[in-house]
Amino acid sequence: MHELTWGLPVIAYFFLAGMGAGAVTVSGSVLLRKGGFGASRFSVARCGALIGPIPVMLGTFLIVFELGQPLRAGNLFHLINLSPMSIGSWFLNIFIILSVLYAMTFMLPGSSPGDRFSQVRRGLAWVLVPLGIGVAVYTGIMLGAMPARPFWNSPILAALFTLSALSSGVASIILAGVVFRRKSKDVAIRSDYENSSYLLITSDALLIAGELLVIFLFLLFGHLTIGDIKYAMLAILPGGQMALLFWGLVVGVGLLIPLIIELFQVMPKLLHNREFKTIVSLEVAVPLAILIGGFTLRYTIVVAGQITAPTTL
Amino acid sequence: MSNNSKPVTNRRAFVQKLVGGVAATTVASSAVALSSAETPPEGKKAKLKSYAMLIDTRRCIGCHTCSVSCKSEFDVPLGVTRSWVEYTEKGTYPNVSRHFLPRLCNQCRHPQCVDVCPTGATYKRPQDGIVVVDSGQCIGCKYCIQACPYDARFLNPETKVAEKCDFCIHRVSKGLVPSCVNSCIGEARIFGDISDPNSEISRLLTTNPTTVLRPGKGTEPQVYYIGADHSDEHENNRGWYDVRITTHRKEKGRR
Ligand code: SF4
Ligand code: SF4
Repeated sequence: MHELTWGLPVIAYFFLAGMGAGAVTVSGSVLLRKGGFGASRFSVARCGALIGPIPVMLGTFLIVFELGQPLRAGNLFHLINLSPMSIGSWFLNIFIILSVLYAMTFMLPGSSPGDRFSQVRRGLAWVLVPLGIGVAVYTGIMLGAMPARPFWNSPILAALFTLSALSSGVASIILAGVVFRRKSKDVAIRSDYENSSYLLITSDALLIAGELLVIFLFLLFGHLTIGDIKYAMLAILPGGQMALLFWGLVVGVGLLIPLIIELFQVMPKLLHNREFKTIVSLEVAVPLAILIGGFTLRYTIVVAGQITAPTTL
Repeated sequence: MSNNSKPVTNRRAFVQKLVGGVAATTVASSAVALSSAETPPEGKKAKLKSYAMLIDTRRCIGCHTCSVSCKSEFDVPLGVTRSWVEYTEKGTYPNVSRHFLPRLCNQCRHPQCVDVCPTGATYKRPQDGIVVVDSGQCIGCKYCIQACPYDARFLNPETKVAEKCDFCIHRVSKGLVPSCVNSCIGEARIFGDISDPNSEISRLLTTNPTTVLRPGKGTEPQVYYIGADHSDEHENNRGWYDVRITTHRKEKGRR
C-alpha cells in the first residue's frame, strides 16, 4: 500500500472544519428563520455560534502543521487561483474571522434576541450561512478535482461532505445543548427547550436522509460505470479493504441507526401532533453516533481514494 | 542544483558513427540543434519551444544509469526519485518477457499538478513547456503530489517542498541535454523541441508508432515511448497470465 500523502491530520481537519462550519451554518439559518419556534431559536443559534469556531480553528491548526512548510502558509493568500485549495483557504480564512465575531455577539452579558447587537448578528448570519456551506463544500470539491484519483473524481463527494457537515453541526449543537443547558423546572423554559430539540432532530433526520440518498447515488454511479471508477469503488463494496468501516460505522452507526431513532422521536409530533419529549440518553447517544459516522466517513473516503488508482498505464 | 559546476562533456559526438539505427543519429543531432537554438539571431524574438522526450524502450537495458545520474545531478535524497526505471515481467516459463520502462515527469501539456497548486508555485513555463516548481513559493501542501496521475512528484524529505523532474532546466538552458539523456548507455532517450519540425525528436515522432502513459487522463504527456509495454498488475485479476511490476522505488507498487 502506498504511503498516505494526506493522513490523519487532513482527515481530522475535514471532519472538524465540516462540523464547525455546519454548526455555524445551522446557527445562522435558525437565527434568520422567521416564525415558528419562538425563543428556542435563539438558544439554538447561540449554541451553534459558540461551539462552531472551535473545531474549525482546531482543524485549521492541524492542517497548517501538516504542510511541509507551515511557516509559509501565508503564501496561500498572496494570490487566488482556480485551485479548490486556494479558493477554500480564502473561504476558511474569512469564515474563521467572521464566525469569531459572530460568536462574540452572543457572548456579551445579557445577549438576547432583541439586544443592540441583533442587527450585526443577523448581518453576520447572512454572510456566514453561505460561507459555512462554502467551507464544507470545498473539501469535497478538492478531492473531486483529480482524475488521478478515480475514487474521488466526481462532484458527488462535495454534496456528501456538505450534508455530513451540516448533520455533524446539528449533532454538535444537540450535544452542547445537553451539556450546557441550565436545568429548570419552569414549564415555559422546558417547552422552549423541547421545541428547539424537536427543530434540531427533525432537520437532522432530513439531512441524514439526504446523505443516504447521496451515498446511494455514489454507489449506483460506481456500479453503472466501468473502468477506473468501478474498480476504485470496490474498496468500499463488501469484500473491499474499507468495506467494514464504511458499512458498519459510516452507514450503520452514523446514518441508519440515528435516522431510525430520530424518526421514532419526531414522528408522533410530526404526523399526529402528539407531545414531543426529549430523552437525555438519546440526546447524547445519537449525536455521538453521528459524529463517529462523520469522522469515519472522512476517514474511509480519504483513505480509499489513496489506496486506489487508475487501472491502466 | 548543486552540480551546476561539474564538467558537462557530451559523449554523443563520439558515438555518432557507431549505429546505423534511428536512435543514434538522433541524439547527436538533437544535441546540436539544442545548442544552436539557444542563441537566437540578434533582433529576433526567441521562438517559443516545446521540449519533449522520446524513450525508445527497445534500446533500454534497464541499467538505471539515468536514475543514478539524476540522483547525483540534483542530490535527490534517499527514498525519493525524480527519474526511475520500472521492470515489467509477464508470463510463465517458457512464454515470458521482460520490458523496461524509464519513467519521469511527463511535462504534460495539461498538467493537473498546475491546476491544483494553490500558491502558483507549480507552473508551466510558456517559453519551453517545462513544468517547474518554485521551491521558494511551495508550501508543501502535497495537493500536486496527490493530483499527478503518474506519481511523478514527491515531498523532498530535506527541503519539505514538492519536487519532480524538470528536464534539467539548468543544463537545457545552456544548450545541453538533460543528464539522463546524456548518460543513457543505450541511447534510448531522445530529447528536443517538438515545435521544430526539423528536430530529431519531431522526425522520430512522425515516423514511428509511439504511445504516452495514461492518455485517458487527458494530460497530454510530452514524454513519448516507442515499444512501451503498458501492462499493469491489475491484469492479474483476469487470471490469464502473470504480470509483475518492479518499480525500484520505495513504493513497491505503481500508483
Ligand atoms: S507528469 Fe505529473 S508532475 Fe509532471 S506535469 Fe504531468 S501532472 Fe505534473
Ligand atoms: S505542494 Fe507546493 S507545488 Fe504542490 S500544490 Fe502545494 S504549494 Fe503547489
